[in-house]
Amino acid sequence: MLTDRRHCSLNSGWIATAAMPPRNDVTASTLKGIKPKGPWRSSQVVRLIKVVFVLLATLTSSQVLARDELNLYNWNNYISDETVSRFEQSCRCKLVQDYYSDNEEMLAKLAAGASGYDLIVPTGNAVESLIKSKQLRPINKLLLPNLRNIDPAYLNTAFDPGNRYSVPYAYTITLIGYNAEKMHELGLPTDTWAVVFEPKYLKKLKGRVTVLDSQRELMSAALKYLGYSVNDTDEAHWRRARDLIIRAKPYWAAFNASSYIKELTIGNIWLAHGYSNDMFQAQMDAKHAGRPFNIAYATPKEGAVLALDSMVLHKTGPRPDLAHRFINFMLEGKNSAELTNLIGSGNPNRDAMQYIDPAIAANKAVFLTPDIQRRLEMLKDLDRNQRRVLSRMWTEIKVR
Amino acid sequence: MNKEKLTRWLVSGPPFLFMVVFFVLPALIMVVASFRFPGEHGGLAPMFENSSWQFTLETYQFFFSDFIYTEIFLKSFLIAGLTTVICIAMAYPVALLITRVPKRFRDVMILLVVLPFASNFLIRVYAWMIILGPQSAFSVAINSVVTAFGFEPVPLLFSPFAVIVGMVYVHLPFMVLPLYTNLEKHDPILLDAAQDLGANAWRRFWKVTWPLSLPGVYAGSALVFIPVLGMFAVPDILGGTGDILIGNLIKEQFLGTRDWPFGSTLSIMLTLAVLAIAALAMRFSRKSLSYA
Amino acid sequence: MWFAALLVYLFLYLPLTVVVIYSFNDSRLNAEWVGFTWRWYEVLFQDEEMIQAAVNSILIALGASLIATMLGTMAGIAMHRYKLKALPFLVITPVAMPEILLGVSLLLFFIQVLHLTLGLLSVLIAHITFCVGFVAIVIRARLAGMDESIFEAARDLGATPWQTFRLVTLPLIMPAVIAGALMSFTLSIDDFVITFFTAGVGVSTLPLQIYSMIKIAVTPEVNAVSTLLMLLTLGMILLAARFDKTVLRGETR
Repeated sequence: MLTDRRHCSLNSGWIATAAMPPRNDVTASTLKGIKPKGPWRSSQVVRLIKVVFVLLATLTSSQVLARDELNLYNWNNYISDETVSRFEQSCRCKLVQDYYSDNEEMLAKLAAGASGYDLIVPTGNAVESLIKSKQLRPINKLLLPNLRNIDPAYLNTAFDPGNRYSVPYAYTITLIGYNAEKMHELGLPTDTWAVVFEPKYLKKLKGRVTVLDSQRELMSAALKYLGYSVNDTDEAHWRRARDLIIRAKPYWAAFNASSYIKELTIGNIWLAHGYSNDMFQAQMDAKHAGRPFNIAYATPKEGAVLALDSMVLHKTGPRPDLAHRFINFMLEGKNSAELTNLIGSGNPNRDAMQYIDPAIAANKAVFLTPDIQRRLEMLKDLDRNQRRVLSRMWTEIKVR
Repeated sequence: MNKEKLTRWLVSGPPFLFMVVFFVLPALIMVVASFRFPGEHGGLAPMFENSSWQFTLETYQFFFSDFIYTEIFLKSFLIAGLTTVICIAMAYPVALLITRVPKRFRDVMILLVVLPFASNFLIRVYAWMIILGPQSAFSVAINSVVTAFGFEPVPLLFSPFAVIVGMVYVHLPFMVLPLYTNLEKHDPILLDAAQDLGANAWRRFWKVTWPLSLPGVYAGSALVFIPVLGMFAVPDILGGTGDILIGNLIKEQFLGTRDWPFGSTLSIMLTLAVLAIAALAMRFSRKSLSYA
Repeated sequence: MWFAALLVYLFLYLPLTVVVIYSFNDSRLNAEWVGFTWRWYEVLFQDEEMIQAAVNSILIALGASLIATMLGTMAGIAMHRYKLKALPFLVITPVAMPEILLGVSLLLFFIQVLHLTLGLLSVLIAHITFCVGFVAIVIRARLAGMDESIFEAARDLGATPWQTFRLVTLPLIMPAVIAGALMSFTLSIDDFVITFFTAGVGVSTLPLQIYSMIKIAVTPEVNAVSTLLMLLTLGMILLAARFDKTVLRGETR
């Protein structure tokens, strides 16, 4: 499925993946006047400089040549190759993808001037942030006849009332995934955050646990375990969460946002804090590889974070027309269902129900029963002072 | 006369202008940025908003509000200091060797020291990832000794040890060259005189060579200490989650948290530290010159 | 003591040798030697992102070394001839200070003031900024070691400053200029920290690609590209050293 031929963006890196056409004209405007270098065959030197000019010009301009391309900035592992090729066939265009593994990473890159993305798939609080900083283009609902397929429960959210800018794509829950056989063998509970935070359980899992390298996600898990809301901004509560994390840290193998899927599948890691669709993939991978164990996943009883990811149009995107076509394509029940069937993400599309694999439909992490729904919360954006305090706590968590 | 002045402006003008625009100006902007508020969604808040200038000391207050930031600064100084000392210890024999070798070999020997520099800095760091990795021959050998004594196997990679090894490896040539330049100028007569006066090899070194070489030592130390202070790639690749230094903090503020004012404040603090070290190095090398 | 020095030399070369050797290792892991293969080099040359990054690296290095050499030569001559106070400071400090400070301040400048989208141009400017100083140092050192009388003679014979430059100065410092250009090229191709902050999203260079591979999925492909890059920069430095020996002494990267 999704192989490592497509390198993922990092939380800490500025790495391009698919070739992004540079938006600057580098050529003559940057190079100052030519000064022939003296009697050292000045004509030769002049010719050399001209060749360099031409080289620079052709190489940079060739990348700006208009192609029917749609630039999608999406989470890692959040769309399948099959879906991509079917879309490319239907629109006779090319889908160029770039990836992020964290909302913060995506927002940071956009804030630093990254441009040219037509479509982004941020989570609710990030959508809120993007709307407030006026980076989005409103969507034209007339171009989206399939919008009626979406379950109204997922529309008209607090972060985008009236859905002026966003269309639901999929949702995931941040929960715990685990090696079922190992956990049973060690007699450990699998329905609570305690197994991630309590030394008495962690003792048996030393070096076999990973948590997400995400400030909000890890703090949310700790806050939920302590009985607070994920949107609690009381600094005293945050300090308790921080201390809880610091206490558990020595038992964890790593803070990890992307490779935990592989580690779970191989059997190096027995318990991981991660996203439900990633856990689904680990489960499938383990089965296909014929491993002697099963990967299972569950939403802890104390509650967890629900991430509703939506498609939005960035205002610097060059092809809003193709973007709308993609959105409408993904709103078709069949395509939306393909997403769920292949990556195990939650599905807000009513029309998709009929196409979804019954085995997956039965999975409570994919389709929420009311009791689980009650425990879930969506993250709200923080203000700048809170972000600063959180950042300091994160530094403390990393260092202490 | 006019032509002379014109030439002067023509020749010094363009580089001067370029550096002012792309070096001085950004530095000034960074200083100003450290006094601004962070933008609601990252970056910087506007300087003039709600009919008033938006400036504040809050980032500096924030820096001192919790010991953790000072702690990371201190840790960076410690690592830089350790790296410098180790570099001096390792560079000295090499520099001495090069001075004792017949002149025709010297350039080659220097070239040999500088050549590893030809490789990309990342490659040099990555090489240590391989050597210190848990499956490498080196790690296995060390750990078999360790476990033979009954201790738990020690992870060599992703530790402060790996960070220091990486820092030393990257900066060693910086120390060798200034040291050699200095040692080369020593008059061998001084050593002969010391020997005639009855001093043994150790005393000759300690009382003659070492004091004379101090300017070179200081120059090399500055060339090692300052870059190590600001480095983030080595801890990022070879260090564990807790081995963050100032450079990592700054990078995190600019590319992760998007708290640009605070990132600027950290950068200003780093700059002040660098200026202090540079000033110290200059003062000491001038002082020791007066002894020579 | 010779033994200590020898150990240090060994310390310097062993890690790089390991990298090169393992680039031919027929195994995904950099652990044990399995067998000889060219496989990783094949993978390398089919890796589109890597090729794109290499192209970017070379383009930027060409542009940066060209402009930096011009500006640096002018700066070197100015520093030697006119004894200005400000210019040496401006030109040399970027070379001496921690790279992260330069990278971060340029990031701020590009985004806040110029509202420039980070890309090839921003990296180019950043590279020029730290290469200029290096070239200037080399040129100035070269000029300092020369006999002033030849310039006086030219002036006495009625040559204009431009003629003096073109017919006397330039040929004399040409080796230093070429050495400076080659070193700028190397510095630019090798640069990581400053490029990291000023590259933005759409542009990758070889060091950035290497970094990304080191952080995500280490395969011997990294060893392969490292070996090739090493050979390239080695060649350039040796070439530069043949033109001007002081290049080695002043090598600060």
